[in-house]
Amino acid sequence: MQKILAICWLTWKAAFRFRLFLVIAVLLLAAVVGLPLVLQDDGTARGFTQILITYTLSVITALLGLSTLWLSCGTLARDIEECQIQVVATKPVGRWQIWLGKWLGIVSLNAGLLVLSGACVYGLLQWRATRLPAGEQEVLRTQVLVARGVAQPPDISATIDELTDQQLQERLKQTQISGADLVQARRQIREQVKALFQLAPPSYYHEWQIDLGFARNFLHGKPLQLRVKFNTAQINQSGTFVGLWQVGVPGTANVWRSEPMSLSPDAYHEFAIPADLFDSQGVLTINFLNVNNTTLLFPLEDGMEVLYPEGGFTLNFVRGLGIIFCWMALLAAIGLASASFLSFPVAAFFSLALLVVVFSSGTLAYAVESGTVTGVNEETGTTGYSIADHVLIPFFKGILAVVNPVRNFSPIDSLSTGRAISWSELGAAFGQIVLLFGGGVSLIGIALFARRELATAQGNQ
Amino acid sequence: MPVAELNRKSEIANQKSEVVVSVRGLTKVFKDFWNRPKARAVDNVDFEVRQGEVFGLLGPNGSGKSTTVKLMLGLLYPTKGHIEVFGHSPRHVPTKSRIGYLPEESYLYRYLNSRETLEFFGNLFHLPRGERDNRTEQLLEMVGLGNVQTRVVGEFSKGMQRRIGLAQALINDPDLVILDEPTSGLDPIGCREMKDLILALARRGKTVILSSHLLADVEDVCDRVVIYYGGKIQAMGALKELLARPDTLRITTPVLPRETLERVLEIIRRDAAADHVRVDNPMQNLESYFLDVVQRARQAAAETSGAISGARVAAYLRAGIQEQPPAAEKILERLALPETAPPAAPPQPVSPAASAVNEQKLETLTKAAAPAISPVKPVAAGEEPADLSKADEKLSSLLGGKE
Repeated sequence: MQKILAICWLTWKAAFRFRLFLVIAVLLLAAVVGLPLVLQDDGTARGFTQILITYTLSVITALLGLSTLWLSCGTLARDIEECQIQVVATKPVGRWQIWLGKWLGIVSLNAGLLVLSGACVYGLLQWRATRLPAGEQEVLRTQVLVARGVAQPPDISATIDELTDQQLQERLKQTQISGADLVQARRQIREQVKALFQLAPPSYYHEWQIDLGFARNFLHGKPLQLRVKFNTAQINQSGTFVGLWQVGVPGTANVWRSEPMSLSPDAYHEFAIPADLFDSQGVLTINFLNVNNTTLLFPLEDGMEVLYPEGGFTLNFVRGLGIIFCWMALLAAIGLASASFLSFPVAAFFSLALLVVVFSSGTLAYAVESGTVTGVNEETGTTGYSIADHVLIPFFKGILAVVNPVRNFSPIDSLSTGRAISWSELGAAFGQIVLLFGGGVSLIGIALFARRELATAQGNQ
Repeated sequence: MPVAELNRKSEIANQKSEVVVSVRGLTKVFKDFWNRPKARAVDNVDFEVRQGEVFGLLGPNGSGKSTTVKLMLGLLYPTKGHIEVFGHSPRHVPTKSRIGYLPEESYLYRYLNSRETLEFFGNLFHLPRGERDNRTEQLLEMVGLGNVQTRVVGEFSKGMQRRIGLAQALINDPDLVILDEPTSGLDPIGCREMKDLILALARRGKTVILSSHLLADVEDVCDRVVIYYGGKIQAMGALKELLARPDTLRITTPVLPRETLERVLEIIRRDAAADHVRVDNPMQNLESYFLDVVQRARQAAAETSGAISGARVAAYLRAGIQEQPPAAEKILERLALPETAPPAAPPQPVSPAASAVNEQKLETLTKAAAPAISPVKPVAAGEEPADLSKADEKLSSLLGGKE
């Protein structure tokens, strides 16, 4: 361990002597303290939080991410190019210890910077909160600067798929469909089936049953929040749609009904419901009456959520920073792994290219969903399934399988909406991002570094 | 004791001692991006280095010396052949705790100061804090950087970087010291100290491998050498065997009265033709003269902002040996200790090609001599040693220094 710590200490020393730490710290502080001070929020608790948490944490993540990649590529590749590694590698220290020491150095440097900038964001948040109007401060205290657990309707993907296949088989009995058309037909049928579970037609009820699970045991006497969002194909003059809500145990007196609510589409709405409306099994039944002339669509993914108090904001904030830290640890491993076999500029380019791929995973997902990279042939109206599709689509699937689990953690979104980031979520992030993916990348990097001849470079100090 | 007998004893001692480095059929071919052979840097090389030897790798630039060194250190991998260091692969990590390496350039971290540099490398050897501090202190004093230990290495002159490089190579008290161009960038004082250090290490039974293209360095300290050219070994053997001229003899005496000298020459001429007998004043070499000049300047307390002359060899490196004897004693010591590989004799005064004896010259030689070299006026205290620096530069270039 003494050897690994010595290498780790070296990274810190380099960061301080080259004033890298100072520069990044100043940039971070300027971004998280300076700019929010000059930006104006809309005076609401949510707008205020949007600016402070979303903006500052996004900037921290971006700045730290880029500097982590740059530093991790540089610390190893430059040691090799400038030949210092030739002296280090002739000491009784394993290549894996050198690699791990450098990773630990970068990761601990990141931890320091993250704590510094996170403390600034937290302090600024508390200070600016005192300047909001009293009513908004209450919203901030109860809805935003909290850690709320989320309960959602059960996942019905399997049911949808089953119904889709049934309908497809019936359709196939009537008409012959094959190849690309079959894929397209299945997709359309699935959307139709899915719509059945999402739509609230005019003058009809739409019902959700949400299991609060184990949380029901400590939610007695505590008001809950509903977070809803719907889409519509038509826009009326007022821009809002009216609805009535009923929450409670059906067939009993334990039911709460709302006044008519005017809600805008394509936006999240949060409102409180009284305590103890769930049944003995912890199931909360929610009904929405659509009193408009337009069908409303509540997306399965985030159309209906029940938020319940789970903990304080401070710990939630720390856990959120913890997930960002896990991302940095993975980026450090990626940078070091690429520097294990590439020169500094190429390693930096390679790592940044990987980052671009991660950010463009939406495009990849669309290609995978379409089943083609060539898109629809506008003349024939068909999708072309070429050799490129046979090669690239599985490749994209592979990339998405790696990228999605990492991207699925969204601490910034959770913090800005007051959702709880549980310890188990942080643990899962650590397990998946750091141990699984970071560990895999590290093993590849260490193996490449261990095999590399370190004296092929001529010193260029 | 006859030289042949000494050689024989030395060989027996060598055969008994441990093989530290074994190189068999070593070939290194550098390849291009497409894996096509680009250069054959080392070509089918075989040699062994035994414990206590000072072994020289000699050859012109690009002959394969440094590549061989890097192969021995596991920094490059052989294309063909086999290397063992202390019976293990060069990539065997625990074995590296017995090796000290000084690369041909200063490959140290520019942002660390000299103390931090030594502490860092001490940590890599897992030295406990007390021992690390102790060795760091002694090494800094030894290499003459005790007064600049808080300056970062990036600000050092090349010579100072070599000195701190040497210190890091010795932090672990290594059994095998590999020095790649050890005197490169050093001033003549540093060169002398480096050579003294190598001899001191050899006296402790340490093995030293040095790679150099400076023939004087190798000649001064090495027991055995290999001479490379084009990646192949062109010659190999003990220096005294390679350089000895058994058909000639040199006698050195104090200045003799003319009559005595004539009588001696008369006797010699009975057995040797007159044109084969030479008599002249032996000259000290430039290194000795230079060191004498600097010694006088130092006694006059001239200050310098750079590295000062190193102190004694660090105590932990001297453990088990007596204080370093003067040059003449070293020769005797080595002759008397044949069971360890005997280090080469320190430089002897060089006899330039002298003219054949003639009466006129004899007259000159037999005068009770005023010294041939005029005494040097010491530099006054507090005076900036500018002239000395110029002399340093000139002499460095004369001696092949690269500063």
